[in-house]
Amino acid sequence: MEYHKYENVAYHLHTIKTDKFKTVTVKVNFKRKLEKKDITYRNLLADVLLESSSKYPSRREIEIKTEDLYNLFVKSNTYLSGNYMIMSFDCIFLNEAYTEAGMLKESLDFLMEFLFHPNVVQKRFEKSNFKIAKKALEEQLNSLEDNYGRYSMYRLLEEMDKSAPFSFRSIGYLEDLKEINETNLYAYYESVLSSDLVDIFVIGNIDPEKVQQLFLDHFPINTLKKPSMSHYLQPVKPRRIIKTTKEKKEINQSHLLIGCKIDLLSEFEKKYVMQVYNFILGGGTDSKLFHNVRELNSLCYSIHSTYQPTSNLLIIKAGIDASSYKKAVSLVKKELTNMEKGNFEETDIEKAKITYLSAFDELEDSPSSIISTYISHEYLGYDMLEERKKKIHEVTKDMIVSVAKKIHADTVYLLEGGEPDEANEDE
Amino acid sequence: MKQMKMSNLDLDLFYEKLDNGLEVYIIPKKNCNNTYVTYSTKYGSRDYEFVPLGNKKMKKVPLGVAHFLEHKMFEQEDGTDPFAFFSERGADANANTNYTKTTYLFSGTQFLEENLRYLLEYVEAPFFTDENVEKEKGIIEQEIMMYEDNPYNKAYEGLLYNIFIEDAIKYPIIGTVESVRSITKQDLYECYHTFYHPSNMFVVITGKVEPYEAIKVIKEVEGKRTLVEAKPVEKKKIKEPTEVEKGYEKKKMAVTIPKLSIGYKIPLASFKNVSRRKILHYLMMLFDIKLGPVSLFQEQLKKEGLMSTDFAFDYIDTEDYFVIMLIAETEEPEKVIDLINQELSNLELSETDLNRKRKTVISSFLFMSDNIYSLNEKAMSNVIKYGKVNCDDYEEIKELNISEYQKLIPNINLNNHSTYIIMPKKGK
Repeated sequence: MEYHKYENVAYHLHTIKTDKFKTVTVKVNFKRKLEKKDITYRNLLADVLLESSSKYPSRREIEIKTEDLYNLFVKSNTYLSGNYMIMSFDCIFLNEAYTEAGMLKESLDFLMEFLFHPNVVQKRFEKSNFKIAKKALEEQLNSLEDNYGRYSMYRLLEEMDKSAPFSFRSIGYLEDLKEINETNLYAYYESVLSSDLVDIFVIGNIDPEKVQQLFLDHFPINTLKKPSMSHYLQPVKPRRIIKTTKEKKEINQSHLLIGCKIDLLSEFEKKYVMQVYNFILGGGTDSKLFHNVRELNSLCYSIHSTYQPTSNLLIIKAGIDASSYKKAVSLVKKELTNMEKGNFEETDIEKAKITYLSAFDELEDSPSSIISTYISHEYLGYDMLEERKKKIHEVTKDMIVSVAKKIHADTVYLLEGGEPDEANEDE
Repeated sequence: MKQMKMSNLDLDLFYEKLDNGLEVYIIPKKNCNNTYVTYSTKYGSRDYEFVPLGNKKMKKVPLGVAHFLEHKMFEQEDGTDPFAFFSERGADANANTNYTKTTYLFSGTQFLEENLRYLLEYVEAPFFTDENVEKEKGIIEQEIMMYEDNPYNKAYEGLLYNIFIEDAIKYPIIGTVESVRSITKQDLYECYHTFYHPSNMFVVITGKVEPYEAIKVIKEVEGKRTLVEAKPVEKKKIKEPTEVEKGYEKKKMAVTIPKLSIGYKIPLASFKNVSRRKILHYLMMLFDIKLGPVSLFQEQLKKEGLMSTDFAFDYIDTEDYFVIMLIAETEEPEKVIDLINQELSNLELSETDLNRKRKTVISSFLFMSDNIYSLNEKAMSNVIKYGKVNCDDYEEIKELNISEYQKLIPNINLNNHSTYIIMPKKGK
């Protein structure tokens, strides 16, 4: 693999040349400081841009073109990363060695078409396509509660601290959506082009210089950007007494979430010690939580923990029966305490390290995962792969116990299922 | 070991059938760090009536045994935990059960030989006790609850239940709370001995692997086993009628937007002189072109505000039927059904559309071949459906053409379909 970073005036182009894949993957990231009211704009903007363009005035025509380009795949993703919000466009297509000469340029042109030639009439997004995209987002926001996993996660974070940026809903808000029209969204689009920080990642068996030239010729963003601030949020003080919130819902399975706040960690703790800690606690099917809550007590089917470095949070999630709620919470707390007391073995640490290393080897088989490691390097200051493989060995038991003491259970949220519903009216 | 080129994919397939009947398929991929190994039995939730090994009479076991058995294989007599074994070697392990097979798997970048050996050994060493069987019931009940709350899963299973009459594919893979509660240790052993015989099983390895070394390990493990002879498992013959069990059902769930799902049960027996694989491609193309995102039909529905997200398509095929299911979110399900059926009254396709679809099918095989997980899935699915891994997909697809399709049209029977609608519980 051969990495090259082109620091063009208005954006950075990262190329990764490798002959491992039959595909070329391109990712264009737009990012700016997180503002709650902007989140909905960005979600809708990404959808509107992929709904139609000046050359392809409907989704249907776009789909036909993607098929013509040998099943090219394009999608967008809007997400939050600590102090920032990111709007990301991914485009994946076959290397022209497997299709026909000229397809690299044609595929990149197609992606640029969405970003720079939207379907616009006099500084307004074209009405009917705008309407379709807006309605789809409206339905998605309306039916958020149908997605119990996502909904309960948002609710937990809001209960932890409603004003903290980590609790903002990454899919946006219905009340903000109502305010958005063809004109103000277009104005927002123009501001994205002129003031967002832009990073482009291209991976595949490509000629980096040729790709750089294609972007110089066709990527018409040229405003100089200010240097960026850190992605990491400041840690928030944990509660002295754990807060508990329950919400009822007519579902069979209850969703239990426990949110923990983490004190300020060192760089090494964030990037290495926490990885090992989380793996041991709830990383997979061989974790403390999986063994003691699922296997020994048959309380749940799924249970795991995730670490969110930019928000300084650790979240534990389990699907349980409402009647087991108290027992499950106390078992989880017990496991957290066990970690603090160092009640785990050196072999647990070794397993975590081996898994960590193996995950890195595996990650090199996937273009999007490789891009992700460059993104965490660029945005979050993570070390590059080879460095990470070395440093993980430095993690010791004492270090894990020391981070465990900085993790504080703060909020318990239960989306509580009802009795098996007899009011289930079938027709 | 036999070696074959996989056409247009830059890959080779290695195949060998061992003396005890176990079949091994290996597809090495260059420039790859990871290896994906699957060990499967041709036994799924659908096989619940059969002649147990050593018996003469047909027997019915509770629904959900195949899946239950899958969970319990992780119990070992010496107390070792297979998940821990793999995790200590940096590998991810898992297992899954579907209608026609049960698969045990791991992927990892190190210790391939050790992991492979262990995968075979633990799946070949069942250890069921009354106690460990009881303990699993709580976990599986929670798993059932998880699926019950998912409207898409509910619609999928509801449709299959209404579409099929005799075929046990109509029942959920996991079984029901009642059937799971009734499962005993004896059920598990009986199914295990019948279906986990090497002559009913196969291994697929994709990714970083040296085929001759891998087969050596497998032969070594298999060579040590003492097994009773087994004839092919006699399963109950299914005579599945062309009609559907129930054409329409409406259910209420905690959803915001109604979900409409329709399934077409298309008999395959009426197609002559064209290979099964081609027919399946043509049928998928038909629905994609008529109703997918490239269709004027879908564009129109969106413009009229009848739906705002794409149809989700799902396909399943049995020996005699091809079932295609589509799910849509719409406030006016009844109106959308009528429009779909109207649209499907004309099955003509244009040559341009068909040729373009053919190109995307060829491309999707190339995409698939870049991913060792998809590649392994393709191989497993081929073994279940065709008894071998197809190496000539490219040749088959290349030949798809409009005139062959047109000749098939009179035999495409879309008369048997079923609709399953999920309505919100609460009014807005």
